[in-house]
Amino acid sequence: MSILSPEQKAIQQTAKDFVAKNIIPIAAKYDKSGEFPTVLLEASKASNIFAMAVPKEYGGLNYDALTQSLVLEEWGYGCAGMGTTLAASILSMDSVLIAGTDEQKRRYFKPMLNAQIGSFGLTEPGAGSDAAAGTATAVKKGNEYILNGTKCWITNGGFATVYVIFANTDPAAGVKGISAFIVDRGVPGFTIGTTDHKLGIRASNTVELLLKDVHVPVTNLLGKEGEGMKIAMMTLDMARPAIAALSVGLAQRALDTCVAHVHTRFPGKPFPGQTLQFKLAEMQIMVEAARDCLHQAMRLRDEGVPYSKESAICKTFCSDVAMQVSATAVSLMGSAGYTSDLGKYMRDSKIMQIFEGTNQIQRLVISRAVLAHPHASAPSTAQKAGK
Amino acid sequence: MPKCLVCYKWTLDEQDIKIKSEDLSLDSSRAKGKISDFDRNAIEEAALLVEKNGGAVDALTYGTTTVKQSLKDCLSRGPEKVYWISDATAGNADASVTANVLAAAIRKMGQYDLILCGEGSSDQFNQQTASRIAALLGLPCVTFANKLSYEGETAKATRKLEDCQEEVSVKGPVVISVLSEINKPRIPSLKQVLGASKKPNEEIKVADLGLKPEDLQPKAVRKSVKGFVMQRKNVIYKESSAADNVAKLKASLASEGLC
Amino acid sequence: MNFELTEEQRLIGQSARDFGKEYLEPIAVELDAKGEFPKKVVQALAKHDFLGLLLPEDVGGAAAGFVSYVEVIEDLSRYSAAVASIVNNHTIAAYTIQKWGTADQKKKYLPGMAKGELLGGFAIYEHGPTPGVGPDTLVAKKQDVGYVLNGKKAFVRNAGEAGVYVVFATTDPALGAKALTAFLVKSDAIGVKVGEKLETMGLKGCPVADITFENVVLPETALLGAVNGGAAISATALAVASVAEAAQTVGIGQAAVEHAAAYAKQRVQFGKPVATLQAIQTLLAEVATDCHLARLGLRNAALLIEEGKPFEVEAAMIKSFLARLGSKMLIDTCQVEGGFGYSETMPLPRLFRDIAGTNLLDAPGDFPEKLIAASIA
Repeated sequence: MSILSPEQKAIQQTAKDFVAKNIIPIAAKYDKSGEFPTVLLEASKASNIFAMAVPKEYGGLNYDALTQSLVLEEWGYGCAGMGTTLAASILSMDSVLIAGTDEQKRRYFKPMLNAQIGSFGLTEPGAGSDAAAGTATAVKKGNEYILNGTKCWITNGGFATVYVIFANTDPAAGVKGISAFIVDRGVPGFTIGTTDHKLGIRASNTVELLLKDVHVPVTNLLGKEGEGMKIAMMTLDMARPAIAALSVGLAQRALDTCVAHVHTRFPGKPFPGQTLQFKLAEMQIMVEAARDCLHQAMRLRDEGVPYSKESAICKTFCSDVAMQVSATAVSLMGSAGYTSDLGKYMRDSKIMQIFEGTNQIQRLVISRAVLAHPHASAPSTAQKAGK
Repeated sequence: MPKCLVCYKWTLDEQDIKIKSEDLSLDSSRAKGKISDFDRNAIEEAALLVEKNGGAVDALTYGTTTVKQSLKDCLSRGPEKVYWISDATAGNADASVTANVLAAAIRKMGQYDLILCGEGSSDQFNQQTASRIAALLGLPCVTFANKLSYEGETAKATRKLEDCQEEVSVKGPVVISVLSEINKPRIPSLKQVLGASKKPNEEIKVADLGLKPEDLQPKAVRKSVKGFVMQRKNVIYKESSAADNVAKLKASLASEGLC
Repeated sequence: MNFELTEEQRLIGQSARDFGKEYLEPIAVELDAKGEFPKKVVQALAKHDFLGLLLPEDVGGAAAGFVSYVEVIEDLSRYSAAVASIVNNHTIAAYTIQKWGTADQKKKYLPGMAKGELLGGFAIYEHGPTPGVGPDTLVAKKQDVGYVLNGKKAFVRNAGEAGVYVVFATTDPALGAKALTAFLVKSDAIGVKVGEKLETMGLKGCPVADITFENVVLPETALLGAVNGGAAISATALAVASVAEAAQTVGIGQAAVEHAAAYAKQRVQFGKPVATLQAIQTLLAEVATDCHLARLGLRNAALLIEEGKPFEVEAAMIKSFLARLGSKMLIDTCQVEGGFGYSETMPLPRLFRDIAGTNLLDAPGDFPEKLIAASIA
């Protein structure tokens, strides 16, 4: 864990308190029903937390990356599903932050000041990891674009006020023909489709979006035509660590729950031997290393240093840790674990390895970075030339 | 109390067969054996008849060396005894060779009131075994049976034909081939499986059947067996409206006689 | 050395697979959703002799041997691991009675258990640190009438549906686990209180609950095996159970890898089925490998059990292996199926939840590694 400034510590504590009061007590209920916790949005209004990534000039809290990750870790600790709601809203606004005009930012961020959420609409049935394979279209007509297509696996889709939707303005141009658009809820032709019942993060709303002749003004185009994939990739780079943060919180929760079980079952000394103790130690190692890895990536971002590789690393590592720690916790706590909330943490962890870029895609990104630069200690002609 | 005989074939489980994409040849190296699907129905039908009317079921099979693997499987499904013929000639036997061998064996084995077969085997599906055996033995033959009963010495069958159902009754020994819808083969209970090893089996050697060499020569020679890969038509309808696309699709399906 | 199953074992497996396809496949999703005990399926299992598989013929069992048993459990688990759990927990109880019961006890319980009229349960675990120790531990006090039981047993499978439980209680709290003793307790005995059904992550349909014993009076004839001989009995029974449970894990894993492979062959991304990508191939290959090796390991242990040879080390090994790699089978196959596979309309989420319930390390003082290490060091 980074050494936190007093301000960061205060924000972290506030987040902890909020989660203890508003998330932890309701997590199990929403996990069981799969309902979306609108009460949570209500409760979030006072803190303005849904605008934590919005710059000050637009009325937001403007938390730096590290601070945002502290908040998201606490939400992940409370309920990864509810944390995903916050993370995905920020994901969508990151696109506007990257490519939006001043006016677009003002428009898009305004609902978030009132704990209304955004949604990022990239994925399609035929375009998952292959994000560029999307077939949604956007045809320009006068001073409008007309959007058609189907999006799926869209987090927050059923409850968002604002959306960033990706569509092809030039289908023949492949990747370079994709553009990004702001779409408002309630626009005619924009329908929310089926809601999916998932293995985990059940409190998070996941839906299909159906676009049939949806008219958006040209002023809703983000950046230029054809820049959509670039915007999407930059957005995901920026937003990936949010998943890492949720994962760290999830892993910590699984570990804490496991430790609490151990104390209940074995009150006082002696604890039941090294095997159990060392498994807990391994879990602790993983959680701490995951947090440090995440914070390192966040420091790079806050320093304005390129952090694409580190972003991919922390997303991969932290989600893998959450999966490992939660699975070990269930196994270790036996039937007590299997009949407890440890099952939820294991179910929630699985998606962290999949969405916002599967851990296989992340490994591609990382391996490319690794192979792009010859190893420092390997002899090279460049070195010999006295470079 | 009919004395029943069921003829069955031990085939490869087609689920285990892989089609090599380069030349569509078949890789059966990992394929397990099974009793041919329709033959399972025939065995089940015989077992049901005997459970209802009394009597006994024998089974008869002709195959290569692998045929011995089928014996306990067969005996766990109702038959009291299984006769088996294991011979290399079964490897490339056509319908005439198969029928010659089976008919000759049946002549040796004795009198049966009912001889049941599956309508066709799951590998070749020639649908000739029942009628050829009947012809060789001089017996009547009823094919496409999807319902069967036996009273006194009369077999009553319902035949499912392409556009109608036919009720048939036959007195005396008869050869009947059955469709898969005639029954649902039982899942042998564990006791039935374990009881199979206590039931007798008897080998019949081709050499003892009194057949001439030409009786064992296939007249239809199999040259090759290749996999069939369904090619997708990949037709895309790109009319301006959904209604137009549907109309085009409908017209296309109608032209193929599908709607 | 022959790695092949005998013909009977193969045919028994075929029957189990056909049974799974006909009886379990149609109900598996609903069973998981509602968690209602599948009475009809249990009756059908009995009719096909699966509930008396291990029991001798003179009590109506099939005496098919332990290798056939694990083959059946693997095949049933491919369709519904929850039903396999019901069978496993029933069978371990029956096995225990068969192995340590008196002639009278065997005559009293086993015919009904073979027929599926009497379901068995095995009550060993407790909420305390170890059975025999802790505030709520089940104590059996010797009295004139026999024994009086007071205390609680935890996480009993088939609780509420079983007609007879094999119960482990300590006759002397001061000696704790050393005085553990086995008893046969009928579910309708006065003072036996099955608690509320617990919510499990998976394997739903196999009920799990605590059982409280309030002054349950048992005659001497309810004693199973020797007084204070319970630890040895439970150790052996649990070792057998771990091999049986390993078969569940392998069945679930096999079903998962087959489904994921089929999915990967038809899911096209980047212009090709994802099955052509090495990343996906690695995930599938590791799961298939672990499944295959686990199957060989558990079959070996099963054969040792069937032949009456020492098997506890091999049983511990397979448990240790799968405690480490069992859930990985579903973590990796779910990864292959990505976002689509995360939906509960697809089968892998249920398998993910089910497999996590196998090979639980329920005896923290007794990790399998302890026994394995003792055998070599």
